[in-house]
Amino acid sequence: MKSLHPLTWWIWSLLIVGAVIATNSAWAAGFAIAVAAISVHQFAEDAPWAKSFWFSLRLGAIILLIRTIVGVLIGVPIPGTKLFTVPILPLPSWIAGIRIGGVVTQERLLSSIHEGLIIIAVICLFGAAVSLTSPHKLLRVTPVVIYEFGVATVIATSALPQLVQSVGRIRRARTLRGDENPSWRSIAIPLLEDSLSRSLELAAAMDSRGYGVSRKRSRYRPIAWRQIDSAVVTSAACALALALVLR
Amino acid sequence: MINFSNVSLIYPTSTKTILEDLSFSIVEGELVLVIGSTGTGKTSLLQLINGLVPHHTGGILAGDITVDGISTKLVRPGELAHLVGIVGQNPAQGFVTDTVEEELAFGMEALNLAPDLMRKRVEEILDLLALAHLRNRAISTLSGGEQQRVAIGSALVMHPKVLVLDEPTSALDPIAAEEVLSILHRLVHDLSLTVVIAEHRLERVIGFADRIIHIAGDGNAKIDLPEIILKEADIAPPIVHLARALGLSDVGLSVRDVRRMTETIRDNGKDIEGALSTLGAEKILAKDLTIKYGSNVILKSLSASVRAGEIVALMGRNGAGKSSLLTALVGLQKPDSGTSHICGTASTDLKGKVRRETVGFIPQEPSDLLYGQSVVGECQQGDKDNQIAPGTTFALLQRIVPSISSGTHPRDLSEGQRLALALAIVLSAQPQVLILDEPTRGLDYQSKALLISLLQNYSKELGRCVLIATHDVELVAELADRVIFLADGEIVADGPTLDILLSSPAFAPQVAKVMSPRRWLTVSDVIAAMEA
Amino acid sequence: MLKTSDIYRFSRRSQFTLFSVSIFTLAGFTWPFFAADQSSARFAQYFFWIAIPFTFFLLIAQLSDKSLDAKSVALLGMLAALIAALRPLGAGAVGLEPMWFLLILAARVFGSAFGFLLGVLAMLASALLTGGMGPWLSYQLFAAGLIGLLAGASFKNLRGKGELALLVVIAIFSSLSFGLLMDLQFWPWAIGTNTQLSFIPGADLSINLGRFLTFHFLSAMAWDIPRAILTVVLTLTAGPAVLTALRRTKKRAAFLTPIEFIERAKSPEAI
Repeated sequence: MKSLHPLTWWIWSLLIVGAVIATNSAWAAGFAIAVAAISVHQFAEDAPWAKSFWFSLRLGAIILLIRTIVGVLIGVPIPGTKLFTVPILPLPSWIAGIRIGGVVTQERLLSSIHEGLIIIAVICLFGAAVSLTSPHKLLRVTPVVIYEFGVATVIATSALPQLVQSVGRIRRARTLRGDENPSWRSIAIPLLEDSLSRSLELAAAMDSRGYGVSRKRSRYRPIAWRQIDSAVVTSAACALALALVLR
Repeated sequence: MINFSNVSLIYPTSTKTILEDLSFSIVEGELVLVIGSTGTGKTSLLQLINGLVPHHTGGILAGDITVDGISTKLVRPGELAHLVGIVGQNPAQGFVTDTVEEELAFGMEALNLAPDLMRKRVEEILDLLALAHLRNRAISTLSGGEQQRVAIGSALVMHPKVLVLDEPTSALDPIAAEEVLSILHRLVHDLSLTVVIAEHRLERVIGFADRIIHIAGDGNAKIDLPEIILKEADIAPPIVHLARALGLSDVGLSVRDVRRMTETIRDNGKDIEGALSTLGAEKILAKDLTIKYGSNVILKSLSASVRAGEIVALMGRNGAGKSSLLTALVGLQKPDSGTSHICGTASTDLKGKVRRETVGFIPQEPSDLLYGQSVVGECQQGDKDNQIAPGTTFALLQRIVPSISSGTHPRDLSEGQRLALALAIVLSAQPQVLILDEPTRGLDYQSKALLISLLQNYSKELGRCVLIATHDVELVAELADRVIFLADGEIVADGPTLDILLSSPAFAPQVAKVMSPRRWLTVSDVIAAMEA
Repeated sequence: MLKTSDIYRFSRRSQFTLFSVSIFTLAGFTWPFFAADQSSARFAQYFFWIAIPFTFFLLIAQLSDKSLDAKSVALLGMLAALIAALRPLGAGAVGLEPMWFLLILAARVFGSAFGFLLGVLAMLASALLTGGMGPWLSYQLFAAGLIGLLAGASFKNLRGKGELALLVVIAIFSSLSFGLLMDLQFWPWAIGTNTQLSFIPGADLSINLGRFLTFHFLSAMAWDIPRAILTVVLTLTAGPAVLTALRRTKKRAAFLTPIEFIERAKSPEAI
């Protein structure tokens, strides 16, 4: 699974998102989230970006909570089975038209949850795509039309770990000068100056190596699209087709 | 291959002439060394070869420069990438990507080479530079020598005819430096590659150079055979100083040459006994120091001491634990077991003002210590921190480097000046102990001599002690009383400089190698022995 | 007169593309006010979630041209890394995002075109770093780019205290605008469609506007005000030093420096 084309999981999750939206069903959404979770658990590499799915899941749960609470507190009442009552809070008159509280019905609660689940499914499927794809490989398949921007992205992502190292170094030096708790300014300014002069060195090196000379560029190890990629994508496409048919 | 005709260079923003009417020719397969004090224009000369000057930096250029018949006036630097490969002073700053293989491929991708060709070339370079086992490694995890090889590889992957390197060995330990230089030597002799190197530390490179270009700093430059240039140049490696001091008619370029010329001196000279200096109390004391990083044991139960009035050099390969020992001594790192004390205070208790007044530490990058906007501002901050009279730090700085101007931004200073500024700031607190980590990286001989006299004054006359971690064998020979040799986290040797340096061929200074089996380390030792 | 390259600037085509895409993206932000009914609202939500990233990609493809040479790319990448590294330093506290002040200052020194790309790249790098990518990403990228664009746009020659004052104004305006834009895109889907603060498809503009403003006001208290305060504080305390560092770098980068080839060597006085 490691050698899948970086776009495979993205296309897969976009197709499943399409299926979930087409069915507009909370059950389908829940099922999609489960499928995403299982895929991430099975296939994601042990790498920093693999945490993205679980981050999305947490974010989705928070959004569901927000939507439910907002729906309960200031939702448009939906008549039906009464569950409980929230006391009505009086609000200042300039926030007109809002009434907090009231009768909360089962239909109201379910409506919030239903809508929320679909949104969460979308977020989680995005998160799954991120978790399952190495950003380095993704950068390697950036289309030639955005080559320059892609190079800038590569530079930015490669520079990040070096920045962390530099901060450590500068912090140590500040401590040595007697600053036990260096102010963030005394670390940030040297870090900024250090990074800026590095970027100028980098620019000279890039110019020397021929960056910007040719308008076309080639790809070192083109990542091939293989049968297994098609298999993964087809499975998601079937789900979408099914959803459209069953609507 | 490379032709400079009547080249003069001025940058638009300054009035100083960098090069004045320089003309020379470098033929294919030559290895040319460019020498000159810091700031004299070595980097400009190198960058003229591939067109970075003036296309990237701007500049007013008279005369013409051609590489393999192509004038650099007419083409951009990138268009010469297949002809001239350039490796800058700080290769780590020139890496675009973060893995070795991608870095090697970057330049070729930018020039739109076919994928098969790229694959082939990457494999070639990985084999040529012994990088195959590192191909998927992140560059930031490589050692200095390996990074240098990757940088050279990225330039060679274009199959250039000329390779230009700016101080390729300054950050490397002697073994790694040897590796890089022998690779270059092999490329010159097997592939007829033309190589131009700028270097400060001539000891290692001098044997390989076919010709030398000496840049004087007032715009004049001379190119000639090494023997001729070095006869009079102010910049010269120790064996040349030795030949001059002994009044030899020729200067030798290798240990072997000078040995042949000094047979009689060796036979007649006497060994000198090292002067027994009176040493004071123990100022630095480490006992059973152990540091672990995860499951890696960096320092294994290490014990060492330094007395007042001593200058001790800490040597060893990169990764042997030198930096860890220093940071533990200064209290920046808590050891997993064992203790260390400086002037009686436990290292971990050193904080703030107490630390500043007990120990002064100059890290590998002195500019980490600096965060002011100007030299004088930095000094004033130092005065404030140490609560001393304003102006003291600046006065101290001017004693070390008289020519420094107060308004310069610290980052615009040369390496030597930056080190001097850091030293002034650290010394103004009058610490009892001075610790330096690799101070001579990138320093020219002049700055090194200043550093040596400063440290000698500090330790001998003021009775304080100095601990230096360094690869620079010549520095150790001139300066240190004692050498502690670390390997794999343990001390494998601890004794007087004379004994330690003479016992290992890799770490013996040039003069010692020439004068073996006599026990002399420096030129002054030889002179003193002859006069005795 | 021959000169070295300039910092990245928009070409005519880039300006036009940016303008067109901005109009389309504006629609993507404000469709809740114009949706006719429930089903077209649903359609609009998902349509824009797919179309905006696509057009944004086309925009970047157009902006990625040869004006983005080695110097600009290297500066862009490094500054984006710094800004992206700053973002999580707010320790997750709501609204405390230290990244904006550096973006604004860099955009001021290097220009609006650079600022736009810097905003986009910094946001993208930060999203790659934290893995927080979702359907809101291209909206976020666009909004961040807009902040960079605006920060670099005005009163180029102002210096000293006047410049600081201008930067404070930009800081406040940007913090609040970014919040506004993000709220605009959160509003239709984050709180649900059936609440008293949700948009009503087909309703009068004034009704929807009122609801949105209430929603936005509540979120602004939590996010935008702290963001604005932090950005202003950072600008005032570190602004001058950062501006000096950035301007020094711009000078050292030798943009638009004369390149002259003369026939014979002249003495410095004669030049």
